[in-house]
Amino acid sequence: MDTELSRVVDAIPGLVWTAPPDGHIDFLNQRWCEYTNLGLGESYGRGWQRVVHPEDLSGLLERWRSILASGRAGEMEARLRRFDGEYRWFLFRASPMADASGHVVKWCGTSTDIEDRKRVEEALSAPWWLQPSTREQHFRSVADNIEALGALVTPAGQVELVNRQALEYFGVTLEELRGRAIADIVHPDDVPPVRAAWRQAVEAGRPYDVEERLRRADGVYRWFHTRGFPLRDTQGHILLWYLIKRDVDDLKRGETLLAGEKRLLEMVAGCHSMSEILEAICRLVESTASGCYCSVVLIDPSGMRVEHGAAPSLPASYMSACIGRPVNIDAGPCGMAAYLNEQVIAADLTTDIRWAEWRPMALAHGLQSCWSTPITSAAGKALGSFALYYSQPRTPTPLHQSLIEQFTHIARIAIERRLSEETLSKVRSELAHVARVQSLGVLTASIAHEVNQPLAGIITNASTCLRMLAAGPPNIDGARETARRTIRDGNRASEVIARLRALFSKKDATAESVNLNEATQEVIALSLSELQRARVTVRTEFADDLPTVTGDRVQLQQVILNLVLNASDAMRSVDDRPRKLVIGTERDGHDLVRLTVQDTGVGFDPQKQDKLFEAFYSTKSGGMGIGLSVSRSIIAGHRGRIWAAHNNGPGATFGFSIPCRSDCSSDMDDVSAIHTSGVTGDVHVMRKVG
Amino acid sequence: MTTDSLVAVVDDDQSVRESLPDLLREFGFRSQAFSSAEEFLASECVSETRCLILDIAMPGMSGPDLQRELMLRRQQIPIVFITAHGDETVRPRVLEQGAVECLIKPFSDTALREAVNTAFG
Repeated sequence: MDTELSRVVDAIPGLVWTAPPDGHIDFLNQRWCEYTNLGLGESYGRGWQRVVHPEDLSGLLERWRSILASGRAGEMEARLRRFDGEYRWFLFRASPMADASGHVVKWCGTSTDIEDRKRVEEALSAPWWLQPSTREQHFRSVADNIEALGALVTPAGQVELVNRQALEYFGVTLEELRGRAIADIVHPDDVPPVRAAWRQAVEAGRPYDVEERLRRADGVYRWFHTRGFPLRDTQGHILLWYLIKRDVDDLKRGETLLAGEKRLLEMVAGCHSMSEILEAICRLVESTASGCYCSVVLIDPSGMRVEHGAAPSLPASYMSACIGRPVNIDAGPCGMAAYLNEQVIAADLTTDIRWAEWRPMALAHGLQSCWSTPITSAAGKALGSFALYYSQPRTPTPLHQSLIEQFTHIARIAIERRLSEETLSKVRSELAHVARVQSLGVLTASIAHEVNQPLAGIITNASTCLRMLAAGPPNIDGARETARRTIRDGNRASEVIARLRALFSKKDATAESVNLNEATQEVIALSLSELQRARVTVRTEFADDLPTVTGDRVQLQQVILNLVLNASDAMRSVDDRPRKLVIGTERDGHDLVRLTVQDTGVGFDPQKQDKLFEAFYSTKSGGMGIGLSVSRSIIAGHRGRIWAAHNNGPGATFGFSIPCRSDCSSDMDDVSAIHTSGVTGDVHVMRKVG
Repeated sequence: MTTDSLVAVVDDDQSVRESLPDLLREFGFRSQAFSSAEEFLASECVSETRCLILDIAMPGMSGPDLQRELMLRRQQIPIVFITAHGDETVRPRVLEQGAVECLIKPFSDTALREAVNTAFG
């Protein structure tokens, strides 16, 4: 290289070098020697590589080899050690010189100091929180657009920034918020655990996770789920904490409600008394809708007056003034709701003009609003009413309405169950005037089966629902579906109860036209699960042209039920032949109809045939011998005859014959009279024996 | 216990068939419901079933009938019986016959979970 050119090359503000096609450096300019403090001799060949940063060397060489192989110009980046030992970033540019035939004969290159540019790039790619100038802008662009309260807090706990939502929630400015103590923001009960969790997170440098109640601008505390993430500087020290507070109040409320509802249904299933269940309903609603008081009143059997149901938080003096009031529109909102069978809202009792007598009494007890909702049976009849009271004027929100709907429904199940139990116990006493009648004991098992099936569904669904809500994230759709099924099964349970009530609702013996086929069919439906459990198959042989009879449908059904259950019991120990039950109806002569129940059981002792229908005679080890004697008196009351006979094969047949309707339509009152005297006579006999 | 083991539910009651599999899935099991013993036997699930939740009283083939049938087929599936006949004499009787557990309807989720866990040993 001539001297002139050499001087020019040395004056270029950059490192200049050349290499033959094999890539080994054969020329470096003076700037190289000044920068690296290496002599030319040390640098040629591979010598220059000793000033390349060890982390960059292999990458640089790889790139250099690929440029050589391509024969085209290329660029590389690597750090070079300066004379003082500091590494600085350089951009290496290499371009080929070719001869006339296109073969590369030499590579010329420059290396330019790009350290300052690299610094800028690095600064630009650093995490946003390390750049105080743009930190707030970045935080806002993210945090102002989330559905949660967001904050940047120093490890010492000092608030640096919060998002718009947080300022709105607390109703303060950032300056005011910085001045607040934790106890002004967090519910006092939650302060110690929140403090402890914060200290632990800061010490361990681990994410922070707590649930806490935060006070809203209007003074109401709501549940929040707070998570905190540490933001670190380049040395790994925690610079700030990023806190996200998500409002989980509705979710928590939903969980509490569902858990409460599940507990209530378990109470229903666990045979708790109606008043216990109604009290639990009141308490649950009171704890959910804070500040309210609840009451349940029932309609008494006459349908005229209200009776006490439950009111755990209302003054006894208030309730005692309400009880016994008539069910009409003037006496008070509870009686009115039951009377009209629709919801009655009294939003402000100070200005309301209804219930002239009741209103001053309610106001004197500090009650200013009252919303009363009828509790309606499956058949649409008002059973009582459920009321919410506040000591301020208020109207129900949609949340209140859904609470009311949900819990009047459970109240209805509890009340209807009690009613059906009461009815059952009345039927029991009518039947034999003794505490236990075995057929009804068996029937109770059958009822329990019918009700327990949907209750199993209810409890399983409610459990699943709770689990779905507790999952992270909560499975809302699944929870909704299981809740819907819960309601459906609840309705199913109450329908079962309604059916039973229909069967047992009658109190006095009545004379009506009865289709014995239909009446028998209902008895079979009711006892089917019991028969299924006893592995008994049932066949019916009903006469199509059976005339109706005149009599008491329910009493006749009790006789049929008794014969069916006796037949089933007689086959209990039979294992070597099918347990078959054949129930038949037919005309008996021209003026009677006959019903027979034929079994394949153990039969009875012919010597004792006369005793079968006597009170307290029983062939069964657990039997009291009441069923057949009561059956006989009922059939006698219908001017009929009951009998038992041996089958040709195994087992026995029991049956009765009673006059059909055409024969006795003229003296219906007479039937009722005879029937009543028949029962009385029988009771007389039993009292004498017992 | 592997969480994707199959728990089969055989019950003629529809609300049980709808609700139990969901709860079992919440517990982390796979679950399949059948409305009768016959339907279960005809399915392809018999060999992969690791636990059977079985109603006692069903029309046609009863729960204990199915238990005997599985024994004859040498299918050793742990069985948890369920029944709505809350009779105290039922449970000891079916436990004696080799069932893992017998739950009286309605039963709690924890009782079910314990029974299934016992089935998985």
